[in-house]
Amino acid sequence: MAVSELVHPEGAIRSPARAVPDLRKWLAALVVAVLAVLPMLSGSFLLYSLSLCFANAIAVLSVSVLVRYGGEVSIGHSFFVALGAYTVAVMEKHLGLGLWISLPVALLMGFAAGLLFAVPSRRMSGIYLAVASMALALSLPELLIHMERWTGGFEGLYISRDLLPGVAKAGQRYYFALAALILVCLAMAHFRGSRQGMALLLARAHPRAAEAFGITRSWARISVFALSATLASLSGAVVAFASSTVSPNSFTLWSGIFYLVGSVVSLQGTSLLAALVGGGIITLVPQYLAGAGDYVPILYGSALLIVTLLANSGSGLRRLLPGKGA
Amino acid sequence: MAIIHAEAAPETRGALVASGINLSFGGIDVLKGVDLDLRPGLVTGLIGPNGAGKTSLFNCLTGLYHPNRGRIALGDTALDVLSPARRAGLGMVRSFQHMALSPDLTLLENVMTGLTLSRRSGWGSAFLPMPRGRAETQDARRRAMAALDELGIAGAADLAPPELPPGTQRLGEIARALVGGPKVLLLDEPAAGLNAVETRDLTRALRRVMHPALIMVVVEHDMDLIMQLCDQIYVLNFGKVIACGSPEAVQADPEVLRVYLGAGDE
Ligand SMILES: Nc1ncnc2c1ncn2[C@@H]1O[C@H](COP(=O)(O)OP(=O)(O)OP(=O)(O)O)[C@@H](O)[C@H]1O
Ligand SMILES: [Mg+2]
Repeated sequence: MAVSELVHPEGAIRSPARAVPDLRKWLAALVVAVLAVLPMLSGSFLLYSLSLCFANAIAVLSVSVLVRYGGEVSIGHSFFVALGAYTVAVMEKHLGLGLWISLPVALLMGFAAGLLFAVPSRRMSGIYLAVASMALALSLPELLIHMERWTGGFEGLYISRDLLPGVAKAGQRYYFALAALILVCLAMAHFRGSRQGMALLLARAHPRAAEAFGITRSWARISVFALSATLASLSGAVVAFASSTVSPNSFTLWSGIFYLVGSVVSLQGTSLLAALVGGGIITLVPQYLAGAGDYVPILYGSALLIVTLLANSGSGLRRLLPGKGA
Repeated sequence: MAIIHAEAAPETRGALVASGINLSFGGIDVLKGVDLDLRPGLVTGLIGPNGAGKTSLFNCLTGLYHPNRGRIALGDTALDVLSPARRAGLGMVRSFQHMALSPDLTLLENVMTGLTLSRRSGWGSAFLPMPRGRAETQDARRRAMAALDELGIAGAADLAPPELPPGTQRLGEIARALVGGPKVLLLDEPAAGLNAVETRDLTRALRRVMHPALIMVVVEHDMDLIMQLCDQIYVLNFGKVIACGSPEAVQADPEVLRVYLGAGDE
């Protein structure tokens, strides 16, 4: 089977014929089955890496949602991811509350932050919006260090409470992250056929036509941003739980750029397989490239450039180029 | 005064009336005092050479452009300050001169977006398969299918627009405009890019969907379609209405012959 089908399960976007999705469904089911039994067969380091991979896959997917449904690009999603992660960590540290409560709060925080960013920036697009999102990400480490009393400053915070007391820790983290990823992918698959999802796709392709059918640009932008930020925040909550720790280094501008790299590499897919490819690349590659040290960002930068140049024919990245009016 | 007149006569209730529309871009006058009186049950043709201002007039009616002067009302409702989305909510829909279907949606789904305003399902059912959301989607799907069927393109429902011939895409746009049961249907060059057979099918389809409560306006360069379909015709030249009346009267108008028909159309 062609690699492009693995990485681009929504190739259907161009030709939404019915036959191929069946195959994809089976493939996705197979992957889920393998991932579900994996903990019985493998060591804890791999499980740990995979948990992070699932969490990062959600972050990548949140960027893909923005690109696919909004036609916009963010390089500052590390801000929303950090918001979710720190919500979980701070609520445990200062309020003694576990994930059952902090997770929904993290989602709400992501949603609210998405709205707060989207409303004033709703008339920006392309490179301007990307730069505005970058400002968010750049300000974040400073903010975290400044609020040391709450966030633990440079050191960050630990997360130690279990989701299910008495169950092995590595297993909980792994299955929680996997379940979150699968649920997000199912929700996004359903979203594609919803009234709102279809309205956003029309608004992205033809904002004026969408307006003529009652779908305003502001609604479209604010909705897609709030959705994307909520997903990013969820990913942060999963990262925090899966890695048991949060610190400012995990949420730099580079993280934001990596999420975008992952999204580009997964061709902005919102399916499980696409998200896994994106999340896998940004999680596992650095671990294997650890020896390359300072060159990692350069490698990523080059990868981003190459993939963007090769594959941007059908995506919102084209809008980064100035001069394309709607 | 056109509006008062419209209220007085019963058959003109619900008319779309534009009076004294002026529009300019950077000092260049695109529309110069255009008056329109469009009544339910009538198909109105809007013709004129390239650049006459036909699309701009449509854009004023649907709220994409804001006239510098003039008033637009649908029935008793003044439209002037309403956004395109609000006008859509009043039952004004249109098709676009340049194809405006989403390539990411199937034809059927594109038509379903025409129902966005009448659908109520919330964000919960956007992410979760809830019974009410499902029922609503089913219903929208059924109505969209019926609209495609009415225009004779139900067979293309599950294909993406880029895979379809221009004629089918045009009809798809018209289906999307019709699916919500509009009061006003504005079609901008629906036959552009269609061959003779497709144009004949389109003409028939438009006749079939016409009903006494609908205001239909067609901008078109294809004179056969205009003459077969329209009850009245407005002729626009350099932003001015130079003639209006029945197809026969307009065809015989010396000014129209000189300016428009004589100039040779594509
Ligand atoms: N947004 C705009 N900005 C500047 N000028 C515009 C704009 N929209 C239209 N015009 C100008 O207004 C004039 C009328 O254009 P319009 O598109 O309304 O013509 P039309 O009658 O629809 O022509 P066609 O038959 O070619 O579609 C043209 O000279 C065009 O350049
Ligand atoms: Mg035009």
